Amino acid sequence: MAASIAPECNEVKEKYDTCFLKWYSEKYLRGNTSSNDCEELFSKYKTCLNKSLKDKGIDTMIEDARKGNKESDAEHNRRS
Amino acid sequence: MKVFSSLCTFDYSWEEVSTANWRKYCPWNDKSTHVVAVDTISRTVDSETGILRTERLITCDQSAPQWVSALFGGGATSHVYEVSYVDPNSKKVTMCSSNLTWSNVLKVQETVIYQPSSLTPTHTTSFHQEAKITALCGGWQKIKNKVEEASVERFSQNAKRGKEGFEAVLEMSRRVFGEQRERDTGKLAS
Repeated sequence: MAASIAPECNEVKEKYDTCFLKWYSEKYLRGNTSSNDCEELFSKYKTCLNKSLKDKGIDTMIEDARKGNKESDAEHNRRS
Repeated sequence: MKVFSSLCTFDYSWEEVSTANWRKYCPWNDKSTHVVAVDTISRTVDSETGILRTERLITCDQSAPQWVSALFGGGATSHVYEVSYVDPNSKKVTMCSSNLTWSNVLKVQETVIYQPSSLTPTHTTSFHQEAKITALCGGWQKIKNKVEEASVERFSQNAKRGKEGFEAVLEMSRRVFGEQRERDTGKLAS
């Protein structure tokens, strides 16, 4: 799996990615879309990551990009 | 604005491709070494549609051709914001990416779609990639054109290497999943 932008988050990121991939292939793709097995790991990873993104000033760049993505959401986040 | 687009088919099922896609940038992919980090920043499943929406931050170590950096300044690291949507019912992955770095000079908007191919939908997956590249720097049209041309060239090189790298990831994924399955069946049998 790819590394994190914040080396101090690599360990928890690796655990989360492994958990997600297992959930994705074994549950999500088999129709069990509502389970969330990796929520706790994701929350730990996010706490670690968000701190680093804030320190690097990337959080505000992401906020701006989010605003520009509203159209894609409207187009793709619905049943086709 | 210049548009780069490419279409190809992977000889793997949509399930395999959409799974391997999450680890496209891992050590198995030795072609996309310009990607140094991939971080998931948000992830939700829509309870009504089952669509999985993921936001990722992709960090690259190579931002622009050297003469472009020289012209506009800027370091070697660049960031891309990617939002993807997986629709498990229609079997469609859509990924929309835009550049966070240099966004006041150059806008790169990429859309990638993975779907079961129309000819052999259970075994092969079609990949469609389109990128719109627009130079925003004021002033000479000639420079804008040059910047766009160089960007399209760089984009197409990375796309080619990206495909080769992803093929390697797909092959390894199939092998590893196969071994895992064998181990699991072995465990059940014993």
